[in-house]
Amino acid sequence: MPLRANLSLLDNIALIPQYRHNLDYETASAQAWNLLLLTGQESAALKRDPQLNPVERCVAKLLRAAIERPPIILIDRPALLLPDTHYPPFLGDLLERLADHLNDCWILDYRWNEPLYPPHPLFPALR
Amino acid sequence: MERAPVPPAPPVPRAPLIKNLEFKIGLLLTLTVLLGAAFIAYALYARGAFQVSQKLILTAEDVEGVSVGMPISFSGFPIGKVSRLHLMEDGKVQIELAIPKEDARWLRKSSVFTLEKALVGGAKIKAHTTNLQDPPLEDGAVFPLYMGDASKDIPVLIAKVKSILGNVESMTAAGAPINQTLGHVELMTGRMAGENGMIGGLMGSPENARKVVQSIDRANTLLSTLNGVSLKVDGVLAKTDSRLFGQDGVMDQAQGAIRNVNTLLGDVRESLKKADAILANAQTASKDVTKITGNIAEATTDMARLRLEIDDSMRKVNHLINEINKKWPFARDVEIKTP
Amino acid sequence: MPAIINFLTRRGAALLATWRIWRATFGLAGKVVVAALSPTVYNSATRTVVMKQIYFTAVQILVPFTLFAALLSFVLIQIVVGTAAEYGLSDYALEMSVRLLVLEVLPLVTALFVALRSGSAINTEVALMRINNELEALEDSGVDTLRLEFMPRVIGGMLSVLSLTAITSVLALVLAYLAVYGAQPWSLPDFARVMGKVFDGAILTSIWLKSLAFGLAVTVIPVAEGLATPKMLFMAPISVLRGMVRLFFVLMFIEVASLAFKYI
Repeated sequence: MPLRANLSLLDNIALIPQYRHNLDYETASAQAWNLLLLTGQESAALKRDPQLNPVERCVAKLLRAAIERPPIILIDRPALLLPDTHYPPFLGDLLERLADHLNDCWILDYRWNEPLYPPHPLFPALR
Repeated sequence: MERAPVPPAPPVPRAPLIKNLEFKIGLLLTLTVLLGAAFIAYALYARGAFQVSQKLILTAEDVEGVSVGMPISFSGFPIGKVSRLHLMEDGKVQIELAIPKEDARWLRKSSVFTLEKALVGGAKIKAHTTNLQDPPLEDGAVFPLYMGDASKDIPVLIAKVKSILGNVESMTAAGAPINQTLGHVELMTGRMAGENGMIGGLMGSPENARKVVQSIDRANTLLSTLNGVSLKVDGVLAKTDSRLFGQDGVMDQAQGAIRNVNTLLGDVRESLKKADAILANAQTASKDVTKITGNIAEATTDMARLRLEIDDSMRKVNHLINEINKKWPFARDVEIKTP
Repeated sequence: MPAIINFLTRRGAALLATWRIWRATFGLAGKVVVAALSPTVYNSATRTVVMKQIYFTAVQILVPFTLFAALLSFVLIQIVVGTAAEYGLSDYALEMSVRLLVLEVLPLVTALFVALRSGSAINTEVALMRINNELEALEDSGVDTLRLEFMPRVIGGMLSVLSLTAITSVLALVLAYLAVYGAQPWSLPDFARVMGKVFDGAILTSIWLKSLAFGLAVTVIPVAEGLATPKMLFMAPISVLRGMVRLFFVLMFIEVASLAFKYI
């Protein structure tokens, strides 16, 4: 699902707690900023959607989902989001950085890609 | 699950949106609210919501053209306005006016209120105060409202003018008594000059006799000219009528001119009456030649006076016709010369 | 016969589409007004969007638009005053110019201006948001698009139309005073009298209502039209075109209705 085009990456993430919990902008953006720092993509914080590269966009979408701490996050066919990246290690790294903020994360991918994923406690539901 | 200690977080970058966004929006909204509130307050003030005003009631037969909110003016300045109109049991209309306290000093017990309806534009209520030393008006005072209607008088005026012109016309029409009289006079003088030349003797010289005849001729032409003039006046009036009475100025002029015509015609009539009398004298004289001698002197002096008077009338009529020509550009060039 | 049936079918479909879009417009207007009046709906994000909308529709264009309105008012006042003097109706010049400008021309010009500048932008933005699935994305993340995207735009548009109308109208009144009486303060009572005559309660109410209706139309119609865009990129320009045409007719209709209300 696309990001809101006229908001910066940071605002796109902060928007969710602003809505869900009626937080003011300062608190919400601080939350988003902390998450962004964890991923190491803070340089993209003020970019808007068309300026983002696929990695940054993927991080933004993940964070937008993660900031609410849902019980399960489902990443559907990450290759579609990360065309130029060798994504299994990247995703593994990313999820590890965010481990404290995630409950459960499922990656949905084609079976022939299974060998690409290393065994990992965070990915119990690999298909 | 070892993780490096989290480095001290750099401050949250604020999106470089718009400088002083909140301030600008706040300023704009405050300005708008202020302008809106100030405008409503001003409108209320302008409508007299904050003014202490006193009531003045005018009673009138007919308030056509008066509407709520209409100003009442004093010396051309608006000093209040109509706040309410209502019909009373007796069919009269009460006009309630609100006069601000500060302007009420212009109205006194002796004030007169008129409603003027102009031909163009709306009606106006005017207050006239002649003596500002009179006791001031109390709240809720009741006064009659007089009508001063320029257009209302015009039909009456026209009717009067028409009747005058009718008189003039009947006087100057063929077969009218005055014309008949003049005809008789002419016949008589012709007979006197032609058959027995008595008039020559009567007037002292044939020259004089001819002059008398000429004078009478002139009187005749004068009358026919006047007839023409009156016809023109009629036409003009018809035009004026069809133009919905035109404007005040023309009507006034026309009225003045007609008044002049009337007085002049009175003069002419007088002169002709005298001529009649003199000629009657002459007639009796010609019948009774023997008694003539006693009357000759009287007759000749009378004749001289008659001529003078006829001359005078002609001058006046001439002047009048010039005047009328000046005022009515469509008249032709008419001139009457005294013999 | 098949041709006739075909024609009727197409006409009927077009009619239904028109009816649907109008129903959607009024439905949206109702929802937005209800939302705008319920305080629980506002949060920091909504407020930010409202402020941004006001900034883009009003603050950014305030100075150029005010200058333009001043010029237009000045020229119209001069024409009215000059013509009135020619016909000997100078008494009515002030009243006429105030009625013409403050009651009719300035609100309409403001609404048209905001429609051109912001209405078209809103229409495009909403159409693109819909085509790009951004709206669904927001809904999926638990964000109410009505609250986040539409209501703030409508509020911003209405406030902008109101502010610009108020500012330009007051400016026009000042200009009218200067044009009729010159730069001196002694005619203020006269001015107040004429103003009192023109602005009775009904007229004031009708200006307010008209400006509000203009503001609502200028934003609700583009939003509704954008929302009705089929999800194809090439439909975006068509959506904007339709929205603008409909907006124009609605503005004119509001104007005519207000004239009829005032003078008939």
